[in-house]
Amino acid sequence: MERIVYMDNAATTPVDSAVLDEMKPFFTEQFANPMTYAHSSPGDVAHVAVEEARVRVASLIGSKPEQVMFTSGGTESDNWVLKGTVERASRERLHKPGHLVTAEFEHHAILHSALALQRQGYDVTFVKVGHSGIVDPDDVRRAMRPTTALVSIMHANNEIGTIQPVADIARIAHEHGALMHTDAVQTTAHVPVDVDTLGVDFLSVSAHKFNGPKGVGILFVRDQAALYPFIDGGGQEWGLRGSTHNVPGIVGLGKAAQLGKERLPRELERLTMLRDMLLTKLSAQIDGIVVNGDMKQRVPQNLNIRIEGIDNEPLLLAMNEAGIIAAGGSACNALETLASHVLTSIGCDLKEAKSSLRLSLGYATTTEDVNYAIDVIPGLVKFLRSMA
Amino acid sequence: MDKYSRATIREFMSPSNIGYIDDPSGMGHIADNADAVELTFFISVDAGHITDAKYRIAGCTALISTLSVLSKELPGKTIDEALVLDMSYLSGLLDGLPESKWRCAGYAVQALHLAIEDYQSKGEATAG
Repeated sequence: MERIVYMDNAATTPVDSAVLDEMKPFFTEQFANPMTYAHSSPGDVAHVAVEEARVRVASLIGSKPEQVMFTSGGTESDNWVLKGTVERASRERLHKPGHLVTAEFEHHAILHSALALQRQGYDVTFVKVGHSGIVDPDDVRRAMRPTTALVSIMHANNEIGTIQPVADIARIAHEHGALMHTDAVQTTAHVPVDVDTLGVDFLSVSAHKFNGPKGVGILFVRDQAALYPFIDGGGQEWGLRGSTHNVPGIVGLGKAAQLGKERLPRELERLTMLRDMLLTKLSAQIDGIVVNGDMKQRVPQNLNIRIEGIDNEPLLLAMNEAGIIAAGGSACNALETLASHVLTSIGCDLKEAKSSLRLSLGYATTTEDVNYAIDVIPGLVKFLRSMA
Repeated sequence: MDKYSRATIREFMSPSNIGYIDDPSGMGHIADNADAVELTFFISVDAGHITDAKYRIAGCTALISTLSVLSKELPGKTIDEALVLDMSYLSGLLDGLPESKWRCAGYAVQALHLAIEDYQSKGEATAG
């Protein structure tokens, strides 16, 4: 079989076989609706499984189980928290349109939710980000207003992997009477994520970024009174998020959370070593490599580099032909020919942004995979440069 | 779906006619920072017919593969025949380029036209 080296784990990860094994019965024999647990034994089996998953996720992020709300993934969680908190604070506390503070380089789940709020008459400030790819807490402080309802700054950026000073920013938000959210989709199960250490009121997680299934995630909600429901429906999730539980997905998320917690210390060390080796050895063979964003405050699985004189589109295609799967910008925008908004927000010009390559490792990445990439990528860069 | 055909990828992975022509009859140069494109197109013309076409390129897959098929089409053609070559014809040679890539791939045709203008202006200078 043709060799495939998958280095796009920031886009998604394979479902771990142990996760799939735990999910399987809940598609077939254990199909009951968990909301029927009071009068149905099969319903109770499903209910127990959902609650066990809640405990596992809570244990991963240091929260109470009842603060974990299951959603359809990171995008829903981000939509919910932005719209649910700003609308509620505006109507019930401020009695005028509230204000949201976020950053220019957030994921589109945040940016487009923020723009949707803006269209409805709410105020939004998009804080700028410097070359380091790290938000300056003082910029957030300067953006705060008496009407600021929520500050939302991602824990780590999805393209460049830079980790943000969320705890410092949460303190600023709270000093000004605002709530704090972080999108922890790229950090959960990769670096320690603890809701109390971070000081956040809300936190978004997506299962498929750490070997769980697609279509399931959570929103950590410290205080249920702080936000309106987003999916109106039945009484699931304390009436805050209607819709029949995605039981197999939730069970898979729970197992992935358990495995993620167990594996985290070792994976943090292993992936940091592999990622650093990748950078060192590529830089030794390819002239003109520059790392996008701070290299120290970065999730272990992410490397984002620009390669002088290279258009990432043909490089990615040539890598794909050689069996190496990677990314330019984020997968959510892979069809856009525009340069990445993340890279332009940290000061890259369009040419630099289009010469950038994101290599993201994961639990399934082996040393042999990294060595293969180190062997192959320099030749492809040379091939492209030979045309110029 | 914005996906390249296998023909396009094959052309891109082994492009024809990359290089320079020393003392070309005409040369066209395009640089566009926003599109991350830098392109130089060379033609040789003899007795009213294009005899050779070469190019240097830093750009996207669509542009590289379009330049490759264009450069193979040109030898033997008159200037008028060369000017007829357009993106719909070249895209057909690649089993169809995604429409979103036509604008960027169009730099290949523009560069050929610049090279032809360069050739024709030299002719006028000689005639004058």
